[in-house]
Amino acid sequence: MNSRRLQRVVKLLSRLPGVGEKTAMRYALHLITTSEPLAHDLAASLAELQQHLRPCSICQNIAEIAAPNDEPICAICSDNKRDRATLCVVARVHDLLAIERVGAMRGGYFVLGKLLSPLDGIGPDELPIGKLLRRIEDGVTEVIVATPPSVDGEATALLLKRELETYVDKKGLKITRIASGVPHGGDLEFADPITMGRALAGRQAI
Amino acid sequence: MVRLRSISIRNFRNIHAADVELGPRLNVISGGNGQGKTSFIEAVYLLATSKSFRATKPIESIARGADIASVRGRVTEDDLEREQSVGLRRGGRVARIDGKATATLAEYAVTTPAVVFHPAGLALTAGPSAERRRLMDRVALYTDPTSLVALEQYGTALKARQKALVERGATARDAEHWEALMVEYGGRVMASRARAVEKIADVGGRAFKEIATPGLSMNIAYGPSASSVPSEYREALVKHRAADIRRGSASIGPHRDDIDLKMQSVPVRGAASQGEHRALVLALKIAEIEAISEARGVRPMLLLDDVSSELDVERTAALFKYLGTMPGQVYVTTTRPDLIDTKGIGAHRVDFVVRSGVIA
Repeated sequence: MNSRRLQRVVKLLSRLPGVGEKTAMRYALHLITTSEPLAHDLAASLAELQQHLRPCSICQNIAEIAAPNDEPICAICSDNKRDRATLCVVARVHDLLAIERVGAMRGGYFVLGKLLSPLDGIGPDELPIGKLLRRIEDGVTEVIVATPPSVDGEATALLLKRELETYVDKKGLKITRIASGVPHGGDLEFADPITMGRALAGRQAI
Repeated sequence: MVRLRSISIRNFRNIHAADVELGPRLNVISGGNGQGKTSFIEAVYLLATSKSFRATKPIESIARGADIASVRGRVTEDDLEREQSVGLRRGGRVARIDGKATATLAEYAVTTPAVVFHPAGLALTAGPSAERRRLMDRVALYTDPTSLVALEQYGTALKARQKALVERGATARDAEHWEALMVEYGGRVMASRARAVEKIADVGGRAFKEIATPGLSMNIAYGPSASSVPSEYREALVKHRAADIRRGSASIGPHRDDIDLKMQSVPVRGAASQGEHRALVLALKIAEIEAISEARGVRPMLLLDDVSSELDVERTAALFKYLGTMPGQVYVTTTRPDLIDTKGIGAHRVDFVVRSGVIA
């Protein structure tokens, strides 16, 4: 148990989100004892990730590059069929992937990378707002704010609304916020009180 | 009605292991000071609500030398029986009903309602406002299950605004957004507290008339710190920014709410006598029980920790008279079991003696 090599791998694995010391040890021992060339393949794939994936220079989504000096542009930003007039602002790449999975969003994205959170030392200046404004000047007519419905997510949405105000007044930019509430096909009786409350607060005329 | 049939306590304060079958109506727990009486009803309260009325951190309730404390029990409501358990360890707690963890601790807390009355609770009317806000929020939890979420959200926005102001000054660009959220979440908290106090006020006023000197009347009203008109609330926050940086927290908002208590139209703080304060506290406790009963549709268990030592003879008699009319399970701790006057409910009295953490 005191192999320094093993300890090192355990230490590294336990830095991953959701992985504790025990799980890290299970992973490490599995990698050693399995007959598959798993450790080797994993190491090679991870090294490739590092080499070929970068944040997209346009939207901060994950972009694949062939050579180290290529400009990273993600698959969505390089897709000509995408509607460039609609821009969906999300907090994390996770959220982008979740929206993409649905397939209903035909526009582009902008990943903030973080949310306004003074308690974590993140103020308005830490958000890539200048970059977002430049992007909007590039022919965007609608911004969909898809930050999460948490306190930080709501504050970030309010900040974006304020920062984009001049574009609304001068260029007729439309700003929308994703709805939140009862999922489609869900029986109302299964909705928790918070979700139900939100759905009621955000009700729409029919 | 809801009642606890049995309880198993492990490593909880000075109780290392206890398995007790409980009486359906009145349980009298006696013993000398420091033997574990309060620990015992604290365990009952923990099982019912997942919280302690003494410790603020779970770790403080775990017996010295142990890593985990647990309380497990069978609860019956109407004809149905369920098993509930609460485990405490460093860093957190797990609460389960029939083996399944509830989605939130608030959901667990409202399942088996319990109301506690302990000596420190006597500061309710004369002491600081935090205790009175807790009373409103305990009742609001039953009348409006989402109130707790709004309160947490409000707290987050409140702290974020303060940090933004301290770090970037009164002109911080994001201050207005945190303030907008404080007004939104705070507005929800105020609305649910107003409803909770409305419920408390009616019953509390009537209970006080029965307990206090004839002719005295109590007036209970919600005392919000901020305006319920959103634009006024927001303007006031903006106006107070500089002052709030100096004082370290927002000067207005639900975190400074109170319950306005008046006797004969005069605010009670500083004016009421000791005896009157006791009557006020007792009336508010009865109001809490009634408000929760009505909102939850079931009588809460009532835990009385050494109240006869703090209440005077008259008030103790009034309390037990009320208990006689209130169906429900009651727990009483005392150093003098012979002094517990239980005419109304004595027929179903079960006595326990606690000595050095052992319950017999």
